[in-house]
Amino acid sequence: MVETGHFALVLAFALSLVQMLVPLVGARTGNQRLMAVGGPVTVTGFALTALSFAALASAYAGSDFSVASVWENSHSLQPMIYKITGTWGNHEGSMLLWVLILTFFGALVAVFGNNLPATLKANVLAVQGMIGAAFFLFILATSNPFIRLNPAPIEGRDLNPILQDLGLAIHPPMLYLGYVGFSICFSFSVAALIEGRIDASWARWVRPWTLVAWMFLTGGIAMGSYWAYYELGWGGFWFWDPVENASFMPWLAGTALLHSAIVMEKRSTLKIWTLLLAILTFSLSLLGTFLVRSGVLTSVHAFATDPARGVFILCILTLFIGGSLALFALRASRLTAGGLFHPISREGALVLNNLFLTTATATVLVGTLYPMALEALTGGKISVGAPFFDLTFGPLMLPLLAIVPFGPLLAWKRGDVIAASQRLMAAFALAITAMLVTGLFIDGASVFAALGVGLAVWLVVGALTDLAVKSGFGAVPPAAMLRRFAGLPRSVFGTALAHLGLGLTLLGIVGTLCFGTEKILSMHPGETVELSGHTLRFEGLSPRKGPNFTEDRGRFLLMGADGNADGMITSAKRFYPVRQTVTTESGIRTLGLSQLYLSLGDENNDGSVVVRLWWKPLVTLIWGGGLVMMAGAAMSLLDRRLRVGAPAKRRKAAAALASPT
Amino acid sequence: MLFWVIAAILTLGASLAVLLPLTGGMKVASSAGDHDLEVYRDQLSELDRDMARGLIQPGEADEARAEIGRRILRLGATAQPDAAILKPARSAKWVASIAVLAVPLLSWGIYGMLGSPDLPSQPLAERLAKNPADASVDELVARAEAHLAANPSDGKGWDVLAPIYLRLQRFPDAVTAYRNAIRLDGDSAVRQSGLGEAIASAAGGIVSADAQKAFEAALKLDPANAKANFYLAVGLAQEGKKADAVAAWQKMLGQLAPDSPWRSAVRQALAEAGGPAVPDAAPANGPDAQQVEAAQQMSPQDRQAMIETMVAGLDDKLKQNPRDEEGWMRLIRSYVVLGKADKARDALGRAVAAFGADSEQAKKFTAFAASLGVTATE
Amino acid sequence: MTRRQKRMSVILAGLAFLGAAAGLTFYALGQKASYFYMPADLATASVPPGQRIRLGGLVEKGTIMRGQGATVAFSVTDKQKSVKVTYTGILPDLFREEQGVITEGAFGPDGVFVADSVLAKHDERYMPKEVADGLKAKGVWQESTN
Repeated sequence: MVETGHFALVLAFALSLVQMLVPLVGARTGNQRLMAVGGPVTVTGFALTALSFAALASAYAGSDFSVASVWENSHSLQPMIYKITGTWGNHEGSMLLWVLILTFFGALVAVFGNNLPATLKANVLAVQGMIGAAFFLFILATSNPFIRLNPAPIEGRDLNPILQDLGLAIHPPMLYLGYVGFSICFSFSVAALIEGRIDASWARWVRPWTLVAWMFLTGGIAMGSYWAYYELGWGGFWFWDPVENASFMPWLAGTALLHSAIVMEKRSTLKIWTLLLAILTFSLSLLGTFLVRSGVLTSVHAFATDPARGVFILCILTLFIGGSLALFALRASRLTAGGLFHPISREGALVLNNLFLTTATATVLVGTLYPMALEALTGGKISVGAPFFDLTFGPLMLPLLAIVPFGPLLAWKRGDVIAASQRLMAAFALAITAMLVTGLFIDGASVFAALGVGLAVWLVVGALTDLAVKSGFGAVPPAAMLRRFAGLPRSVFGTALAHLGLGLTLLGIVGTLCFGTEKILSMHPGETVELSGHTLRFEGLSPRKGPNFTEDRGRFLLMGADGNADGMITSAKRFYPVRQTVTTESGIRTLGLSQLYLSLGDENNDGSVVVRLWWKPLVTLIWGGGLVMMAGAAMSLLDRRLRVGAPAKRRKAAAALASPT
Repeated sequence: MLFWVIAAILTLGASLAVLLPLTGGMKVASSAGDHDLEVYRDQLSELDRDMARGLIQPGEADEARAEIGRRILRLGATAQPDAAILKPARSAKWVASIAVLAVPLLSWGIYGMLGSPDLPSQPLAERLAKNPADASVDELVARAEAHLAANPSDGKGWDVLAPIYLRLQRFPDAVTAYRNAIRLDGDSAVRQSGLGEAIASAAGGIVSADAQKAFEAALKLDPANAKANFYLAVGLAQEGKKADAVAAWQKMLGQLAPDSPWRSAVRQALAEAGGPAVPDAAPANGPDAQQVEAAQQMSPQDRQAMIETMVAGLDDKLKQNPRDEEGWMRLIRSYVVLGKADKARDALGRAVAAFGADSEQAKKFTAFAASLGVTATE
Repeated sequence: MTRRQKRMSVILAGLAFLGAAAGLTFYALGQKASYFYMPADLATASVPPGQRIRLGGLVEKGTIMRGQGATVAFSVTDKQKSVKVTYTGILPDLFREEQGVITEGAFGPDGVFVADSVLAKHDERYMPKEVADGLKAKGVWQESTN
């Protein structure tokens, strides 16, 4: 089975070479047969990669230590769920997952792309084939997960304990679905550049892929943030760590792409910019893969510290980014510019959005790469952290968020700001009220906190206003309004949900940062501590044995207002003997939208234990907002506009009769 | 075999995925213009829907409709005669044949370099479930470990496993296993002295306070426990009390049973500690205390004779039971010590024959003999 | 304004915006990035009290002292010089004697480094990169060969 997987991987590599060359030659020479190879080859390549991945997963599930990667990253006593998730909890397996998703998306284009012009489809699949070939080669040459050991060791070296968590089961696949989803947008852009023309259906085709990728990337980032929050035990949800930035940059660029693709689709304008943005977004995804996989960064995520791998990915990076940008420089002038628009219009608002988002992406890029560049050039070591990003990213986001509610209310081509403002009066009034209430009635609220709350309310109510206005609130009778509401295009709901989710996330961030409280103290069993109106009693430590770890559990009794027990919160120090590693399991209790978070420190000599606890108001909204944004993207995907029709059959048949074959 | 069949089927499938479209009928592609027209039509109908819903004003709608109309007109103007259908060029045939051939050649070639086709999958459960007789020591240990993970309070299990760990040089595991055995099945001299040895070995042979404590506990239970006595003396030597150590070892020599495997270890230790030389030619059933005492009182000739008798006894014993690795090595050394090089060579030859010329042991014997200056051939 | 002028003004506004953003970014890089030092580097570099830096090295053996509550004092060393550090909070799981550590904070007026975050290596095979490079440069530490 293992060797079958290995063979399937090699075969998939061979097919990806065919996929990158044959359809491309077909498209250039106009040969239908060569172009037709693309589809079946892509689908078969996906099936083989899936087989290969299944073989690896079954080796992990069955603790087959004759496979080197299983031996290094698994242990027979690990719970089954972590045996399976361990498949992609390491460098080799995660790269295999990467190409699995890549070939999956390629196969989707091959299967559902029948309504695409044949040459476009052939070129898109060829570009996908190039990316696939590069990464298959990378895997086979430097990160082969199927390297065998003979004789097989009898026990493995265990998965890194902080990766033994359910969050790991979901976070990387989602993130990769996002990263790799943008490869389709990239392939469409490069295909358009190769052909030197952009079809009218181009934007309609690219937009759903952008939506899918963006949806998963949003989920992946939110999941990663929540995982870091509860697993690392530091209580933070975002660290501006280079690895986080690596996933955040494609998200920012992808958000810009999402918006510019709307303009392109509706108005056939901003074509060249959208193309460039699609290339940049995937380039940032590749950069993210490079940063995480090359070992350039030292962090939880850097499984690989093999320089050969770093150099190889750097080559892939240079090849694809350099190649596509060079092609862009050569061909962009051939593409026709589109319709004109007034600066104050839906298009204008979306351009503004793009300006802010790409600039924000650039600041994050600078903040992430500058320390590395400085070290490479001068040897000086600096770290760029939250203070830098607060000063640069923050000022860019505030005005952007402030103008978000205007966008959907402006008309295409020529908008009316005053009319839009009038419609947003209610939202504005509510936002000001929220700001004042926060500033005046909540103790210790800073100006920033008041502003933040006001902005969040503005976003949420603004999104709802958009829905109300479009369903004719106040203009038509309630029954008609309901009917119109139900009949609104799904993309309108999608926009509103996404903007609403953004508001919720902002509210969660502001709530946690500005109103959260924190205490560090050492506690003896029986002592109580009070934090923001919640009383906790430390009940003591008790040892417990898990499947592949032992732990000391600290139990804390949450006391209700009436002094009665209101449930137990446990936090633990876990020891994993195989890797001689200690981890902290934080104790979290969700109360409404807020959370009580505590983490256990070291035991003192006198029997007391250091305890750090936080009250995090509205913290769940940070990730809840992410889920709402995902729902918005899913809603937009259901819009019928995205289902591009193929040229009618009748016409095809007529053409077939007319052409002498 | 099964693997090759699967690999062949997979290769065939992959090659067909390339081959079939190349030989299939020419589908007529619709021109790109048709696709564009379809999109514009859809945009027009969407405009109508939006208008019906009141999402856009009639004025805007008219303007948008005019714009889409202009795009359609532009499309008609630029439409060129369909250039997509050309005769398949000769180069296309080349590309097609190379592509079809590349799949099997590349995949089998690369796999040939990277793969290990002969290595079957070895899921742990399967390895543990197979007949114990075929299992390696590691696998047996793993099986025992799995059993103990499920029944951690099986003292007997720990007791069995502990000395195995010791022999496999997994000292920290041995320490844990001995401790568990003692905790669950109670104290015994063997367990305590084993624990001491494990602790000392884990520390690279240093008899630490912990180890010392374990050996002392063992002696309390069985004052004659050889291992504990021996290591305690080692500890004395390590502390610099050489004389005490030598005395302890010599006392041990006096008490040890004649066939005790500890004799040679004690002699070696004595030799290293610079104590009085003790004849090292101990046969399989070494001389007992009286014999040794007797030998010391004997004249050199008599002593030589006695030793030769004992060596001959060993030789006889090995003839009957040739698979005794230790015995053969002792015999070869004895002959060398007695100055009988030809007999030593003969013994080496028989030892190698007993285990087979290619065996691990044969190599060991040859190397061992070579270190004593004996080679198999003149 | 003609259409051309309009377009020009939009482009100029965009460029001005980008320029402002770039300026802000580089200002922030100068102000908000914290430099990484090892104890021996501090002898030559003058770091005024209150300036945020990162200090890395090994936790010196026998210097970990737990004070009142959750405050811990220890010394960070590069085997040439060592610096006293105090930290209030929960130490990372892998904080141990003789192990690599990175602390972030500022010197107090008394010359003691007050850290507000302490990072230790994440697993046995990993040493914070800055610390490893620094120690290698000083010839104190060699990469383990396992």
